[in-house]
Amino acid sequence: MDTQVIYNIIHQEAFGLNIAIYFYLTGLSAGSFILSTLAFGFGMKQYKPLGKVGVVLATMLLIIAPFFLLIHIGMPYRAWNLFVYLNFASPITWGTFLLVLYPINCLIYGYFMFKGNMRLTRIFGFIGIPLAISVHGYTGFILAFGKARALWNTALMPILFLVSAIVSGIALMILVCIIKDRFFSKEKKIDLTLIFNLGKLLAWMIIFDLFLVGSDLIVLSISHSDAQAVAHLLLLGKFSPLFLIVENLLGKIVPFILLVVPKFRRLTTIVVASILVVIGIFFMRYVVVVGGEFIPLI
Amino acid sequence: MRNKVKRYAMLFDLRKCIGCNACAVACKSENNVPLGVWRSWVKKVEKGHYPHSKEFFLPIVCNNCENPICVTVCPVGASIKRSDGIIYIDPHRCIGCRYCMAACPYGVRYINPKLNIAEKCYWCHHRVDAGLKPACVLACPTGAIMFGDLNDPESDISKTMAKNAVQVIKPEMGTKPHTFYIDLDIDTVEAKQMEEE
Repeated sequence: MDTQVIYNIIHQEAFGLNIAIYFYLTGLSAGSFILSTLAFGFGMKQYKPLGKVGVVLATMLLIIAPFFLLIHIGMPYRAWNLFVYLNFASPITWGTFLLVLYPINCLIYGYFMFKGNMRLTRIFGFIGIPLAISVHGYTGFILAFGKARALWNTALMPILFLVSAIVSGIALMILVCIIKDRFFSKEKKIDLTLIFNLGKLLAWMIIFDLFLVGSDLIVLSISHSDAQAVAHLLLLGKFSPLFLIVENLLGKIVPFILLVVPKFRRLTTIVVASILVVIGIFFMRYVVVVGGEFIPLI
Repeated sequence: MRNKVKRYAMLFDLRKCIGCNACAVACKSENNVPLGVWRSWVKKVEKGHYPHSKEFFLPIVCNNCENPICVTVCPVGASIKRSDGIIYIDPHRCIGCRYCMAACPYGVRYINPKLNIAEKCYWCHHRVDAGLKPACVLACPTGAIMFGDLNDPESDISKTMAKNAVQVIKPEMGTKPHTFYIDLDIDTVEAKQMEEE
Protein backbone atom coordinates (compact mmCIF):
# COMPACT_ATOMS: atom_id res chain seq x y z
CA MET A 1 0.00 0.00 0.00
CA ASP A 2 1.26 3.48 -0.80
CA THR A 3 1.88 5.42 2.36
CA GLN A 4 3.21 8.83 3.14
CA VAL A 5 4.39 9.88 6.56
CA ILE A 6 2.80 13.20 7.42
CA TYR A 7 4.12 13.60 10.94
CA ASN A 8 6.55 11.57 12.98
CA ILE A 9 9.26 12.13 15.55
CA ILE A 10 12.73 10.79 14.89
CA HIS A 11 15.08 11.47 17.75
CA GLN A 12 18.78 12.14 17.28
CA GLU A 13 21.06 9.29 16.32
CA ALA A 14 22.45 7.31 19.22
CA PHE A 15 25.97 6.58 18.03
CA GLY A 16 27.77 8.82 15.60
CA LEU A 17 31.17 9.78 14.32
CA ASN A 18 32.78 9.66 17.79
CA ILE A 19 31.88 6.02 18.25
CA ALA A 20 33.07 5.19 14.72
CA ILE A 21 36.44 6.81 15.52
CA TYR A 22 36.60 4.93 18.83
CA PHE A 23 35.99 1.60 17.08
CA TYR A 24 38.60 2.50 14.48
CA LEU A 25 41.26 3.33 17.08
CA THR A 26 40.64 0.22 19.20
CA GLY A 27 40.77 -1.82 15.99
CA LEU A 28 44.14 -0.33 15.04
CA SER A 29 45.39 -0.96 18.56
CA ALA A 30 44.26 -4.59 18.67
CA GLY A 31 45.71 -5.24 15.23
CA SER A 32 49.09 -3.70 16.18
CA PHE A 33 49.23 -5.69 19.41
CA ILE A 34 48.54 -9.00 17.68
CA LEU A 35 51.29 -8.26 15.15
CA SER A 36 53.64 -7.37 17.97
CA THR A 37 53.11 -10.76 19.60
CA LEU A 38 53.87 -12.69 16.39
CA ALA A 39 57.60 -12.51 17.13
CA PHE A 40 57.66 -12.38 20.92
CA GLY A 41 54.78 -14.74 21.64
CA PHE A 42 54.84 -17.16 18.74
CA GLY A 43 58.52 -16.95 17.87
CA MET A 44 58.14 -15.91 14.22
CA LYS A 45 61.65 -14.49 13.91
CA GLN A 46 61.00 -12.59 10.67
CA TYR A 47 58.53 -10.28 12.48
CA LYS A 48 60.88 -9.44 15.35
CA PRO A 49 61.34 -5.78 14.32
CA LEU A 50 57.57 -5.31 14.73
CA GLY A 51 57.55 -6.10 18.44
CA LYS A 52 58.49 -2.72 19.88
CA VAL A 53 56.70 -0.66 17.23
CA GLY A 54 53.56 -2.74 17.75
CA VAL A 55 53.41 -2.38 21.49
CA VAL A 56 54.06 1.37 21.42
CA LEU A 57 51.34 1.86 18.80
CA ALA A 58 48.88 -0.41 20.61
CA THR A 59 49.35 1.41 23.91
CA MET A 60 49.19 4.91 22.47
CA LEU A 61 46.09 4.24 20.37
CA LEU A 62 44.29 2.63 23.29
CA ILE A 63 45.10 5.56 25.55
CA ILE A 64 43.63 7.99 22.99
CA ALA A 65 40.57 5.89 22.12
CA PRO A 66 38.54 6.20 25.37
CA PHE A 67 38.66 10.00 25.13
CA PHE A 68 36.28 9.73 22.18
CA LEU A 69 33.91 7.86 24.49
CA LEU A 70 34.17 10.65 27.06
CA ILE A 71 33.37 13.21 24.34
CA HIS A 72 30.44 11.06 23.25
CA ILE A 73 28.69 10.45 26.56
CA GLY A 74 26.41 13.14 27.89
CA MET A 75 27.75 13.11 31.44
CA PRO A 76 31.54 12.59 31.21
CA TYR A 77 32.13 13.42 34.87
CA ARG A 78 29.82 10.54 35.77
CA ALA A 79 32.03 8.03 33.92
CA TRP A 80 33.07 6.59 37.29
CA ASN A 81 29.54 5.15 37.53
CA LEU A 82 30.76 2.55 35.04
CA PHE A 83 33.08 1.13 37.72
CA VAL A 84 30.61 1.36 40.59
CA TYR A 85 27.35 0.14 39.10
CA LEU A 86 27.93 -2.96 37.01
CA ASN A 87 25.56 -4.73 34.66
CA PHE A 88 27.27 -7.84 33.36
CA ALA A 89 24.65 -8.28 30.65
CA SER A 90 25.86 -5.10 28.98
CA PRO A 91 28.83 -5.19 26.58
CA ILE A 92 29.80 -1.69 27.74
CA THR A 93 30.42 -3.09 31.24
CA TRP A 94 32.66 -5.77 29.71
CA GLY A 95 34.44 -2.93 27.97
CA THR A 96 34.93 -1.04 31.25
CA PHE A 97 37.20 -3.83 32.46
CA LEU A 98 38.84 -4.49 29.10
CA LEU A 99 39.70 -0.84 28.55
CA VAL A 100 41.47 -0.80 31.91
CA LEU A 101 43.20 -4.19 31.78
CA TYR A 102 44.37 -4.07 28.18
CA PRO A 103 46.44 -0.84 28.27
CA ILE A 104 47.94 -1.88 31.63
CA ASN A 105 48.93 -5.22 30.14
CA CYS A 106 50.33 -3.41 27.09
CA LEU A 107 52.50 -1.25 29.35
CA ILE A 108 53.84 -4.28 31.29
CA TYR A 109 54.44 -6.24 28.09
CA GLY A 110 56.21 -3.26 26.52
CA TYR A 111 58.28 -2.64 29.66
CA PHE A 112 59.66 -6.18 29.68
CA MET A 113 60.24 -6.09 25.94
CA PHE A 114 62.32 -2.92 26.17
CA LYS A 115 64.16 -4.36 29.21
CA GLY A 116 64.95 -7.45 27.14
CA ASN A 117 63.31 -9.94 29.52
CA MET A 118 62.10 -12.41 26.88
CA ARG A 119 60.41 -14.90 29.23
CA LEU A 120 58.12 -12.31 30.85
CA THR A 121 57.52 -10.60 27.48
CA ARG A 122 56.26 -13.91 26.17
CA ILE A 123 53.98 -14.47 29.17
CA PHE A 124 52.43 -11.00 29.00
CA GLY A 125 52.17 -11.32 25.24
CA PHE A 126 50.05 -14.42 25.66
CA ILE A 127 47.93 -12.69 28.33
CA GLY A 128 47.55 -9.79 25.95
CA ILE A 129 46.27 -11.73 22.93
CA PRO A 130 42.88 -12.66 24.43
CA LEU A 131 42.66 -9.14 25.87
CA ALA A 132 43.37 -7.58 22.48
CA ILE A 133 40.82 -9.84 20.82
CA SER A 134 38.25 -9.04 23.52
CA VAL A 135 38.88 -5.32 23.53
CA HIS A 136 37.96 -5.17 19.91
CA GLY A 137 35.54 -8.09 19.83
CA TYR A 138 33.37 -6.51 22.52
CA THR A 139 32.77 -3.49 20.30
CA GLY A 140 31.25 -5.90 17.80
CA PHE A 141 28.95 -7.14 20.56
CA ILE A 142 27.95 -3.56 21.40
CA LEU A 143 26.55 -3.21 17.90
CA ALA A 144 25.22 -6.77 17.69
CA PHE A 145 23.06 -6.15 20.80
CA GLY A 146 21.20 -3.39 18.95
CA LYS A 147 18.61 -5.88 17.87
CA ALA A 148 16.38 -3.56 15.88
CA ARG A 149 19.19 -2.45 13.55
CA ALA A 150 19.52 -5.10 10.89
CA LEU A 151 23.04 -4.09 9.90
CA TRP A 152 24.32 -4.49 13.47
CA ASN A 153 22.29 -7.41 14.72
CA THR A 154 24.41 -10.23 13.34
CA ALA A 155 26.69 -12.74 15.01
CA LEU A 156 29.25 -11.92 12.31
CA MET A 157 29.79 -8.46 13.78
CA PRO A 158 32.52 -9.35 16.35
CA ILE A 159 34.57 -11.42 13.89
CA LEU A 160 34.03 -8.87 11.12
CA PHE A 161 35.36 -6.19 13.46
CA LEU A 162 38.32 -8.33 14.48
CA VAL A 163 39.35 -9.14 10.93
CA SER A 164 39.07 -5.54 9.83
CA ALA A 165 41.05 -4.59 12.94
CA ILE A 166 43.88 -6.89 11.89
CA VAL A 167 43.70 -5.58 8.31
CA SER A 168 43.98 -1.96 9.44
CA GLY A 169 46.63 -2.90 12.02
CA ILE A 170 48.88 -4.51 9.42
CA ALA A 171 48.49 -1.56 7.05
CA LEU A 172 49.30 0.95 9.78
CA MET A 173 52.26 -1.18 10.85
CA ILE A 174 53.65 -1.18 7.30
CA LEU A 175 53.44 2.61 7.17
CA VAL A 176 54.95 3.11 10.63
CA CYS A 177 57.77 0.62 9.93
CA ILE A 178 58.67 2.42 6.72
CA ILE A 179 58.67 5.83 8.42
CA LYS A 180 60.66 4.48 11.35
CA ASP A 181 63.28 2.77 9.17
CA ARG A 182 63.55 5.65 6.75
CA PHE A 183 63.90 8.50 9.24
CA PHE A 184 64.60 7.21 12.74
CA SER A 185 66.82 4.13 12.37
CA LYS A 186 70.61 4.22 12.49
CA GLU A 187 71.06 2.76 9.01
CA LYS A 188 68.25 4.79 7.36
CA LYS A 189 67.52 1.63 5.40
CA ILE A 190 64.11 0.03 4.97
CA ASP A 191 63.79 -3.68 5.78
CA LEU A 192 62.20 -4.73 2.46
CA THR A 193 61.73 -8.44 3.25
CA LEU A 194 59.76 -7.53 6.35
CA ILE A 195 57.59 -5.06 4.43
CA PHE A 196 56.90 -7.58 1.64
CA ASN A 197 56.06 -10.28 4.20
CA LEU A 198 53.63 -7.93 5.87
CA GLY A 199 52.19 -7.06 2.46
CA LYS A 200 51.49 -10.73 1.79
CA LEU A 201 49.83 -11.11 5.18
CA LEU A 202 47.75 -7.99 4.50
CA ALA A 203 46.59 -9.36 1.13
CA TRP A 204 45.30 -12.58 2.73
CA MET A 205 43.56 -10.76 5.57
CA ILE A 206 41.86 -8.49 3.00
CA ILE A 207 40.48 -11.56 1.25
CA PHE A 208 39.13 -12.89 4.55
CA ASP A 209 37.57 -9.50 5.28
CA LEU A 210 35.96 -9.35 1.83
CA PHE A 211 34.58 -12.84 2.37
CA LEU A 212 32.97 -11.80 5.67
CA VAL A 213 31.53 -8.58 4.26
CA GLY A 214 30.21 -10.51 1.28
CA SER A 215 28.59 -13.18 3.44
CA ASP A 216 26.98 -10.52 5.59
CA LEU A 217 25.63 -8.69 2.56
CA ILE A 218 24.29 -11.79 0.83
CA VAL A 219 22.35 -12.87 3.92
CA LEU A 220 21.10 -9.32 4.55
CA SER A 221 19.76 -9.02 1.03
CA ILE A 222 17.47 -12.07 1.38
CA SER A 223 16.63 -11.81 5.08
CA HIS A 224 13.67 -10.01 6.69
CA SER A 225 12.37 -6.68 5.41
CA ASP A 226 14.55 -4.43 7.61
CA ALA A 227 17.64 -6.34 6.51
CA GLN A 228 16.67 -5.95 2.87
CA ALA A 229 16.22 -2.23 3.42
CA VAL A 230 19.75 -2.03 4.85
CA ALA A 231 21.18 -4.05 1.95
CA HIS A 232 19.46 -1.65 -0.42
CA LEU A 233 20.85 1.32 1.50
CA LEU A 234 24.40 -0.04 1.17
CA LEU A 235 24.20 -1.19 -2.44
CA LEU A 236 21.97 1.39 -4.10
CA GLY A 237 21.06 3.96 -1.46
CA LYS A 238 22.74 6.88 0.23
CA PHE A 239 25.64 4.85 1.63
CA SER A 240 26.52 3.05 -1.60
CA PRO A 241 29.32 5.45 -2.69
CA LEU A 242 31.00 5.10 0.69
CA PHE A 243 30.37 1.38 1.02
CA LEU A 244 31.05 0.18 -2.51
CA ILE A 245 33.64 2.61 -3.79
CA VAL A 246 35.55 3.93 -0.77
CA GLU A 247 35.32 0.97 1.59
CA ASN A 248 35.42 -2.02 -0.70
CA LEU A 249 36.84 -0.95 -4.06
CA LEU A 250 39.48 1.57 -2.93
CA GLY A 251 39.92 0.17 0.56
CA LYS A 252 40.13 -3.55 -0.21
CA ILE A 253 40.05 -4.64 -3.86
CA VAL A 254 42.55 -2.11 -5.25
CA PRO A 255 45.07 -2.67 -2.41
CA PHE A 256 44.69 -6.42 -2.84
CA ILE A 257 45.53 -6.17 -6.56
CA LEU A 258 48.46 -3.86 -5.78
CA LEU A 259 49.76 -6.35 -3.23
CA VAL A 260 49.43 -9.64 -5.10
CA VAL A 261 50.28 -8.84 -8.73
CA PRO A 262 54.07 -9.47 -9.00
CA LYS A 263 54.50 -6.65 -11.55
CA PHE A 264 53.45 -4.08 -8.95
CA ARG A 265 55.72 -5.41 -6.20
CA ARG A 266 57.51 -2.23 -5.23
CA LEU A 267 57.78 -0.18 -2.07
CA THR A 268 55.65 2.65 -3.49
CA THR A 269 52.73 0.35 -4.31
CA ILE A 270 52.83 -1.17 -0.83
CA VAL A 271 52.74 2.31 0.69
CA VAL A 272 49.82 3.31 -1.54
CA ALA A 273 47.98 0.07 -0.75
CA SER A 274 48.49 0.54 2.99
CA ILE A 275 47.27 4.13 2.93
CA LEU A 276 44.18 3.03 0.98
CA VAL A 277 43.50 0.25 3.50
CA VAL A 278 43.88 2.54 6.51
CA ILE A 279 41.41 5.01 4.98
CA GLY A 280 39.09 2.25 3.74
CA ILE A 281 38.75 0.64 7.18
CA PHE A 282 37.90 4.01 8.71
CA PHE A 283 35.01 4.29 6.27
CA MET A 284 34.06 0.70 7.06
CA ARG A 285 33.57 1.75 10.72
CA TYR A 286 31.70 4.86 9.63
CA VAL A 287 29.36 2.96 7.30
CA VAL A 288 28.62 0.30 9.92
CA VAL A 289 27.96 2.72 12.78
CA VAL A 290 26.23 5.61 10.98
CA GLY A 291 24.68 3.56 8.18
CA GLY A 292 23.34 1.08 10.72
CA GLU A 293 21.18 3.69 12.38
CA PHE A 294 20.31 5.65 9.25
CA ILE A 295 16.96 3.96 8.66
CA PRO A 296 14.42 5.22 11.21
CA LEU A 297 12.99 2.58 13.51
CA ILE A 298 9.39 3.70 13.61
CA MET B 1 -8.37 -14.74 41.76
CA ARG B 2 -6.65 -11.47 42.24
CA ASN B 3 -2.88 -11.32 41.83
CA LYS B 4 -1.18 -9.08 44.42
CA VAL B 5 1.65 -8.11 42.05
CA LYS B 6 0.56 -5.51 39.54
CA ARG B 7 1.47 -5.57 35.86
CA TYR B 8 0.55 -2.28 34.30
CA ALA B 9 -0.28 -2.01 30.63
CA MET B 10 -1.55 0.65 28.26
CA LEU B 11 -4.11 0.10 25.53
CA PHE B 12 -4.72 2.44 22.61
CA ASP B 13 -8.05 1.99 20.85
CA LEU B 14 -7.10 3.34 17.43
CA ARG B 15 -10.74 3.25 16.31
CA LYS B 16 -11.29 6.15 18.69
CA CYS B 17 -8.07 8.08 18.06
CA ILE B 18 -8.67 11.36 16.21
CA GLY B 19 -5.00 12.43 16.03
CA CYS B 20 -5.51 15.57 18.10
CA ASN B 21 -2.11 15.38 19.86
CA ALA B 22 -3.68 16.16 23.24
CA CYS B 23 -1.75 13.21 24.72
CA ALA B 24 1.55 14.59 23.42
CA VAL B 25 0.81 18.05 24.79
CA ALA B 26 -0.29 16.75 28.20
CA CYS B 27 2.86 14.60 28.35
CA LYS B 28 5.13 17.53 27.56
CA SER B 29 3.48 19.62 30.24
CA GLU B 30 3.31 16.92 32.91
CA ASN B 31 6.88 15.69 32.51
CA ASN B 32 8.59 18.99 31.69
CA VAL B 33 9.92 17.62 28.40
CA PRO B 34 12.30 20.11 26.70
CA LEU B 35 11.76 21.51 23.23
CA GLY B 36 12.85 19.30 20.35
CA VAL B 37 12.22 15.95 22.07
CA TRP B 38 9.05 14.01 22.84
CA ARG B 39 8.12 11.21 25.20
CA SER B 40 4.90 10.53 23.37
CA TRP B 41 3.68 11.61 19.97
CA VAL B 42 1.19 10.69 17.28
CA LYS B 43 2.64 9.35 14.05
CA LYS B 44 0.42 10.35 11.16
CA VAL B 45 0.43 8.43 7.90
CA GLU B 46 -1.66 8.93 4.79
CA LYS B 47 -2.51 5.76 2.92
CA GLY B 48 -3.59 5.51 -0.71
CA HIS B 49 -4.12 8.27 -3.24
CA TYR B 50 -6.81 10.95 -3.29
CA PRO B 51 -9.78 10.48 -3.35
CA HIS B 52 -9.23 6.93 -2.08
CA SER B 53 -7.06 7.87 0.84
CA LYS B 54 -7.25 8.12 4.58
CA GLU B 55 -5.10 9.42 7.37
CA PHE B 56 -4.06 6.93 10.02
CA PHE B 57 -2.84 7.75 13.52
CA LEU B 58 -0.42 5.84 15.66
CA PRO B 59 0.11 7.23 19.17
CA ILE B 60 3.54 6.15 20.38
CA VAL B 61 4.72 5.85 23.97
CA CYS B 62 7.31 3.61 25.59
CA ASN B 63 6.21 -0.01 25.44
CA ASN B 64 7.54 -0.74 28.95
CA CYS B 65 8.43 -4.19 27.66
CA GLU B 66 8.34 -7.36 29.74
CA ASN B 67 11.73 -8.31 28.31
CA PRO B 68 13.36 -4.89 27.86
CA ILE B 69 16.56 -4.68 25.81
CA CYS B 70 17.30 -1.21 27.27
CA VAL B 71 17.62 -2.71 30.76
CA THR B 72 19.86 -5.47 29.39
CA VAL B 73 22.31 -3.11 27.71
CA CYS B 74 22.47 -0.24 30.22
CA PRO B 75 26.07 -0.45 31.51
CA VAL B 76 25.36 1.28 34.81
CA GLY B 77 21.97 -0.25 35.55
CA ALA B 78 20.27 3.14 35.29
CA SER B 79 17.35 1.67 33.33
CA ILE B 80 15.38 -0.23 35.93
CA LYS B 81 12.31 -2.45 35.58
CA ARG B 82 9.95 -2.18 38.51
CA SER B 83 7.95 -5.14 39.79
CA ASP B 84 4.82 -3.60 38.27
CA GLY B 85 6.47 -3.59 34.83
CA ILE B 86 7.22 0.12 34.49
CA ILE B 87 10.74 0.84 33.25
CA TYR B 88 12.26 4.07 34.45
CA ILE B 89 15.66 5.73 34.21
CA ASP B 90 17.51 6.73 37.35
CA PRO B 91 18.44 10.33 36.45
CA HIS B 92 21.29 10.39 38.98
CA ARG B 93 22.96 7.30 37.60
CA CYS B 94 22.59 7.63 33.81
CA ILE B 95 25.86 8.62 32.13
CA GLY B 96 24.25 9.48 28.79
CA CYS B 97 26.09 6.82 26.78
CA ARG B 98 23.04 6.40 24.49
CA TYR B 99 23.38 2.64 24.28
CA CYS B 100 19.72 2.27 25.28
CA MET B 101 18.76 4.57 22.41
CA ALA B 102 20.79 2.44 20.00
CA ALA B 103 19.26 -0.79 21.28
CA CYS B 104 15.58 0.21 21.70
CA PRO B 105 13.62 -1.10 18.71
CA TYR B 106 10.97 1.60 19.10
CA GLY B 107 13.00 4.82 19.07
CA VAL B 108 11.20 6.20 22.12
CA ARG B 109 14.30 7.29 24.01
CA TYR B 110 16.02 10.62 23.65
CA ILE B 111 18.80 12.61 25.24
CA ASN B 112 17.46 15.45 27.34
CA PRO B 113 19.27 18.46 25.82
CA LYS B 114 19.44 20.23 29.18
CA LEU B 115 20.44 17.35 31.45
CA ASN B 116 22.37 15.26 28.88
CA ILE B 117 20.85 12.02 30.14
CA ALA B 118 18.51 9.54 28.47
CA GLU B 119 14.79 9.94 29.13
CA LYS B 120 11.61 8.27 27.99
CA CYS B 121 7.96 7.74 28.81
CA TYR B 122 7.47 5.81 32.05
CA TRP B 123 3.69 5.92 32.08
CA CYS B 124 3.85 8.82 34.55
CA HIS B 125 4.84 6.51 37.40
CA HIS B 126 4.85 9.44 39.80
CA ARG B 127 1.12 9.84 39.12
CA VAL B 128 0.43 6.10 39.06
CA ASP B 129 2.10 5.68 42.45
CA ALA B 130 -0.19 8.36 43.81
CA GLY B 131 -3.25 6.52 42.50
CA LEU B 132 -3.79 8.76 39.47
CA LYS B 133 -3.94 7.91 35.77
CA PRO B 134 -1.08 8.95 33.44
CA ALA B 135 -1.44 12.44 31.99
CA CYS B 136 -2.10 11.27 28.42
CA VAL B 137 -4.96 9.01 29.58
CA LEU B 138 -6.72 11.92 31.26
CA ALA B 139 -6.07 14.27 28.33
CA CYS B 140 -7.49 12.04 25.61
CA PRO B 141 -10.83 13.62 24.60
CA THR B 142 -12.23 10.43 23.07
CA GLY B 143 -11.13 8.05 25.77
CA ALA B 144 -8.96 6.11 23.34
CA ILE B 145 -6.23 5.42 25.92
CA MET B 146 -6.72 2.93 28.69
CA PHE B 147 -4.29 2.23 31.51
CA GLY B 148 -4.50 -0.36 34.24
CA ASP B 149 -3.40 -3.57 35.87
CA LEU B 150 -3.36 -6.64 33.63
CA ASN B 151 -3.07 -8.96 36.63
CA ASP B 152 -6.45 -7.76 37.88
CA PRO B 153 -9.14 -9.45 35.76
CA GLU B 154 -11.69 -6.88 36.96
CA SER B 155 -9.75 -3.87 35.63
CA ASP B 156 -11.13 -2.03 32.59
CA ILE B 157 -8.06 -2.78 30.53
CA SER B 158 -8.21 -6.52 31.27
CA LYS B 159 -11.87 -6.67 30.34
CA THR B 160 -11.35 -4.67 27.12
CA MET B 161 -8.32 -6.68 26.05
CA ALA B 162 -10.18 -9.93 26.65
CA LYS B 163 -12.90 -8.93 24.22
CA ASN B 164 -10.88 -7.29 21.43
CA ALA B 165 -8.17 -8.25 19.01
CA VAL B 166 -5.02 -6.51 20.19
CA GLN B 167 -1.60 -6.13 18.64
CA VAL B 168 1.78 -4.68 19.64
CA ILE B 169 4.42 -2.89 17.57
CA LYS B 170 7.24 -5.16 16.33
CA PRO B 171 6.32 -8.36 18.23
CA GLU B 172 9.18 -10.10 16.38
CA MET B 173 11.71 -8.27 18.56
CA GLY B 174 10.91 -10.57 21.46
CA THR B 175 10.69 -7.66 23.88
CA LYS B 176 7.05 -8.45 24.81
CA PRO B 177 5.73 -4.87 24.69
CA HIS B 178 2.97 -3.93 27.13
CA THR B 179 1.56 -1.06 25.12
CA PHE B 180 -1.23 -2.65 23.13
CA TYR B 181 -3.25 -1.36 20.20
CA ILE B 182 -6.72 -2.20 18.92
CA ASP B 183 -7.04 -1.85 15.14
CA LEU B 184 -3.28 -1.44 14.56
CA ASP B 185 -2.40 -0.98 10.90
CA ILE B 186 0.83 -2.59 9.68
CA ASP B 187 1.31 0.00 6.89
CA THR B 188 1.19 2.81 9.43
CA VAL B 189 3.79 1.10 11.61
CA GLU B 190 6.12 0.35 8.73
CA ALA B 191 5.86 3.66 6.87
CA LYS B 192 9.32 5.21 7.06
CA GLN B 193 10.22 8.81 6.56
CA MET B 194 13.74 8.92 5.19
CA GLU B 195 15.86 12.01 5.72
CA GLU B 196 15.94 14.23 2.68
CA GLU B 197 19.28 14.20 0.93
